[in-house]
Amino acid sequence: MAGLSLNEERSQFQMSLITIIWSMSASACLTLAGINFLVWCRHRAAWANLIFSLLATGTAAWTFCELWMMRADTPVEFATVLRWGHVAVWLIIVSLVGFVHFYLKSGRPWLAWTVFGTRTLLLVVNFLVGQNLNYLEVTRIGHMRLFGESVALAQGVTNPWIRLGQLNLVLLLIFVVDATLATWRRGDRHDAITIGGSIIFFELVSTSQSLLAFYGIARTPYVASVCFIGLVAVMGYELSGETIRASQLDRKLQESEAGLHEIEERMTLAVEGADFGIWIRDLIRNEIWATDKWRALFGYSKSERLELDRILERIHPEDRDTVRLVLKNSTHGDGSYQGEYRVMLPGGEMRWIGSHGRVECDSSGKPILIRGVSHDITARKLAEMESQELRNEIAHVGRVSMMGQLASALAHEINQPLGAILRNAEAAELYLENASPDLEEIRAILADIRKDDQRAGAVIDRMRALLRRQSLDKRPVDVREFVGEVVSLVRSDAAARHVKLELTVASHLPPVSGDLVHLQQVLLNLVVNGMDAVDEAGGGDRRVRVIASLDGPRTVEIAVSDSGPGIPADKLTQIFDPFFTTKAKGMGMGLPICRTIIEAHGGRLWAENKSEGGASFRFTLPIAEESATK
Amino acid sequence: MNEVAPIVHIVDDDASFLVAIARLLRAHGFCVKTYSSAHEFLAQRAADTPGCVLADLQMPKMNGLDLQSALSQTPNPMPILFLTGHGDIPSTVRAMRDGAEDFLEKRAPKKKLVDAVTRALARDFREREVRAQQRELRTRFDTLTERELQVLSHVVQGRLNKQIAGDLGIHERTVKLHRTAITSKLKVQSVAELTRLTQEAGIFSEPVSTFPKG
Repeated sequence: MAGLSLNEERSQFQMSLITIIWSMSASACLTLAGINFLVWCRHRAAWANLIFSLLATGTAAWTFCELWMMRADTPVEFATVLRWGHVAVWLIIVSLVGFVHFYLKSGRPWLAWTVFGTRTLLLVVNFLVGQNLNYLEVTRIGHMRLFGESVALAQGVTNPWIRLGQLNLVLLLIFVVDATLATWRRGDRHDAITIGGSIIFFELVSTSQSLLAFYGIARTPYVASVCFIGLVAVMGYELSGETIRASQLDRKLQESEAGLHEIEERMTLAVEGADFGIWIRDLIRNEIWATDKWRALFGYSKSERLELDRILERIHPEDRDTVRLVLKNSTHGDGSYQGEYRVMLPGGEMRWIGSHGRVECDSSGKPILIRGVSHDITARKLAEMESQELRNEIAHVGRVSMMGQLASALAHEINQPLGAILRNAEAAELYLENASPDLEEIRAILADIRKDDQRAGAVIDRMRALLRRQSLDKRPVDVREFVGEVVSLVRSDAAARHVKLELTVASHLPPVSGDLVHLQQVLLNLVVNGMDAVDEAGGGDRRVRVIASLDGPRTVEIAVSDSGPGIPADKLTQIFDPFFTTKAKGMGMGLPICRTIIEAHGGRLWAENKSEGGASFRFTLPIAEESATK
Repeated sequence: MNEVAPIVHIVDDDASFLVAIARLLRAHGFCVKTYSSAHEFLAQRAADTPGCVLADLQMPKMNGLDLQSALSQTPNPMPILFLTGHGDIPSTVRAMRDGAEDFLEKRAPKKKLVDAVTRALARDFREREVRAQQRELRTRFDTLTERELQVLSHVVQGRLNKQIAGDLGIHERTVKLHRTAITSKLKVQSVAELTRLTQEAGIFSEPVSTFPKG
């Protein structure tokens, strides 16, 4: 309908086509300006949109001015419109510079400021010198036909300041070309071609058109707006694409943020549930960040600054060096660490901490941060220590009850030297009653007394060593010495019980790794058990044999065999159960304790029956490291 | 019989104690010999010398009780005293039943030790006298003929001559002749004395316990 009426009215409104094109272009520019202004209002950081909005506004204004100039009736009207048109040109050029700066993020600032400065100066000149920047005076209006219509052309006296205007346009061109090249070199080729390229193209076209029009070389009115509108279209297209991408990104970001938030929530829940504290140490900036839970574990308030040295100071002095070493090694080794250590809280409370961590490296393999998880293991540690204590306690009880069995043997051992001391002292007293005592003899007696005193002391020391509670203190133990010592300890007891005690130690046995006192306790127990078994049998052959031999390249085996009745086959394993006993007075703790001790040494203890009768208790012990590697 | 001084033989595997107790007993005037094992003592001791044995009950190989039984099988058993660091009841009972003179702890009071040794030596002296007397009596009884011993066995049971003659199937006069020979050979005056000597010599009762009871 509109097109139809337009055709019908063409003859009547001959100039309306230019009016329609120019005003439609101007309104399109204004629409783009409005949209981009609104975008900027919502995202204040989107400066490119604001500047584009100004550019489009300027273009619309210049388009309007052009239309007006084409329709000018008098030279004064033409000059006045051109003067005001320069405001729009100022806005366009300043916006272009700003757009290049904010959108391409390149261009030399001094060039930008120079363009801005000169154009502003030209705007001032435009209002002060002559009728406008182009003409000192528009003398007459000519006419030509465009799209079949008559449009106005100006003729007049050239304003000399126009040269500066031309220079300004060249500067703008240089600025844009430089910025475009920089953008191209940076790798943003798309932006360089579309934005940079189109600005250069349209500026060249519009400038040359303006020059041709101005100097009258070509008879043409000012139609630079066509170029500016093209520029606005390209830039608007780019910007809207950018806006769409940004909104897509924004949506994705929101989605992933929501996902991240969900993951974080889950993590927090898991971490809180597991009572874990997390810490992250930035090795580059040397900063430590930790969750509130971690801070609470180490006794830090929520805002206190964390420093590695200070944290290490909170660690128990006995554990500090180990932790330091572990942290140091973690950045060298496979990148992970774990440890258990004690933390001394400022209030004096002690806390056990279990830690796991991992080192993260950059692409060159250089460690950049350590992430760690810590949790409170005090309860577990206390339970562990308690059960260890209980084990020690049981071992102690076992030793004490065994001491009861051995008391007579030890009393005998002590009575020997004490008896000798007594008799020697009595003899010395008698010698001294003589008128001329034999001093030589008395001196010999005193020497003997001293020797026997030391002997008695040694027996007591040995007994004390057996009674003492201790944890395993593993050292290389000479097998011949350790077995020999135990056998000599029970020898008199064996003699009193008419049990033959035989000892065979293979030659060149390497030392085993173990705690001498505990191993002696085990062997003592087995030998005493063997003698009990011999008593039980009551047969003619009363014998207990101890044999130490090499069992494989890394193990020594010690066997205690007796000539007793043996062990019923169904009880061979049961005898190692706690509180299982075949003896009237036994507690049933001896063998379980022995097994515990041997297993703590990395060995094995078991019982078997010999084919020729009697039982054999065997245990293995690992050879001490140094000798095993030799 | 007392011309040779009695010897205290000490047997102990503990060299230190052995030296000490030997010193003490020497200082008390005893004659002492020391041995580090029962075997050593059995090998070295003189056949018939007065003395006693002081032995550790607990020794490797041959202990005190083994030594005691070995010693009792010799013709001249010496009284044995046991020393112990710490005696257990079964060993003590067995030692005493087998006739141990005494049972001493190694750290027993000196007086107890010296008294026990003195007592053991006195007992050895007595037993040696009894053994000497028995030997002398036996030589006297050895002179009796088979028939005379037969008659004697009846006489000490208090039987009359007529009963003896009936039992042996000989004449009463012959019994009288045998009795006269017996009394002159054994140098006895009365039947009571004859009975006592027969008992002392232990002719008819197999191994006569020679030491006083209680």
